[in-house]
Amino acid sequence: MSVPRNSHKQKGALKFFTRLAFLFSMTAAVLGAQPVYAAQYDIKTMTPEVQRALDGRKQRYDSVQSLKGNGAIGENNQGYVTVLNSGSGADSLAQPENADRSVIYNTIVEQNGLGGGGLEKVQIAFAEVQRERARGGDMIQLPNGDWVKK
Amino acid sequence: MSTFKYVIAALLLFGTFTGCTIKAVGDPERPITINANVVVDIRGLKQTASNIEDMVAKGG
Repeated sequence: MSVPRNSHKQKGALKFFTRLAFLFSMTAAVLGAQPVYAAQYDIKTMTPEVQRALDGRKQRYDSVQSLKGNGAIGENNQGYVTVLNSGSGADSLAQPENADRSVIYNTIVEQNGLGGGGLEKVQIAFAEVQRERARGGDMIQLPNGDWVKK
Repeated sequence: MSTFKYVIAALLLFGTFTGCTIKAVGDPERPITINANVVVDIRGLKQTASNIEDMVAKGG
């Protein structure tokens, strides 16, 4: 019994496209593989401006913690402190603290080439860290905007 | 299938995945703007934030 010539051609074409699809998927798998590690971002160059900002934050760290403890300020969801109860020096401390944080955030964005949307992501990352580090009783703002006592 | 067809297919695949060099001819007064998509790794940023907050808390 003879096999029609067209059947041979169809089988050949099927085999070809099967191999082609396999080749495509293997290439895509190799090229599409993403490394599983966290990217490294840092303050790469310690400019005088960012050094001043870090020094300023270090110097007022205890005062910030104290004001957080009595509920005068809280960590908002944008990586800054918000004055919740004016007085007791909360206003005069929050302003330079937030200015220094802004310098640090912008430096990370610029020195790591994080682009236009980078600042928001940096702020959100710092806000998350501040929420995690907040002590019991500190006021923190959740990502949905609600303020809660930790 | 002939070997020739496999060679053509391999070349096409290579071109598809490695990309091509495109030379644009245009008006130098109207430069082409390409918006690059920067992927930011939030885990890496959190690690950076954590390191900086450690430094601030320890006073250096």
